[in-house]
Amino acid sequence: MAIYESIVILDSLIPPKEIDSAMDRFSALITENNGKVRQVEKWGKKRLAYEIQKKQYGFYASIEFEGEGNIPVILESEYNYNDNVLRYLTYRYDKYKLKAMASETPAVNKAEKVEPKKKPVIDIESEEPEKTDFENNDIEAEADSDETVEENKE
Amino acid sequence: MIRVRRKRVCFFCQSGMDYIDFKEEKLLLRYVTEQGKIIPRHTSGTCAKHQRQLAQAIKRARHLALIPFVTDFTR
Repeated sequence: MAIYESIVILDSLIPPKEIDSAMDRFSALITENNGKVRQVEKWGKKRLAYEIQKKQYGFYASIEFEGEGNIPVILESEYNYNDNVLRYLTYRYDKYKLKAMASETPAVNKAEKVEPKKKPVIDIESEEPEKTDFENNDIEAEADSDETVEENKE
Repeated sequence: MIRVRRKRVCFFCQSGMDYIDFKEEKLLLRYVTEQGKIIPRHTSGTCAKHQRQLAQAIKRARHLALIPFVTDFTR
């Protein structure tokens, strides 16, 4: 059993009830096919970096689940069938992600294994985004690569 | 005159980052040009291992409309 994450961009103009029902439908599909939903996360309405189907905004939501390889295929067909889904991405956690997860919160992972039926829904809007130190450190490359920078300006 | 090049160190190795998450748009935007192209590793100094992960992350973020494929400059 591998761990997957599926992220969908839904139409932000549909009522919140329909968003919930769509997410429930996707979760139900996973559990029907012997999968296990680990986490359902709603990122909220976000501005898209470029227009998709003439829309400026989208509602982002993600489902983290465990299961066999047939589940992503089933989800994909469901996404294609659903007109409210603008974009989707399902990916399998690679070794780096699994390693980062194991080192980050070993206690939380154990807790999840004990209570597998729990479905935490996290509202990301209420949480403050983590601040990382990379914003302060300027890229060192800029000083050294005069040629490439000039090329870009042209 | 031979210009002495300062040795660049991979930012991700330095900060001990194992996994590059494609959801961190701000981090990824440091590694694309103004036009939205991925900066090559001889310019940014990223090591091969992290550049592979970085490229994957940027492509995923582009697909989900977190960062743009191209940025147009209207003249």
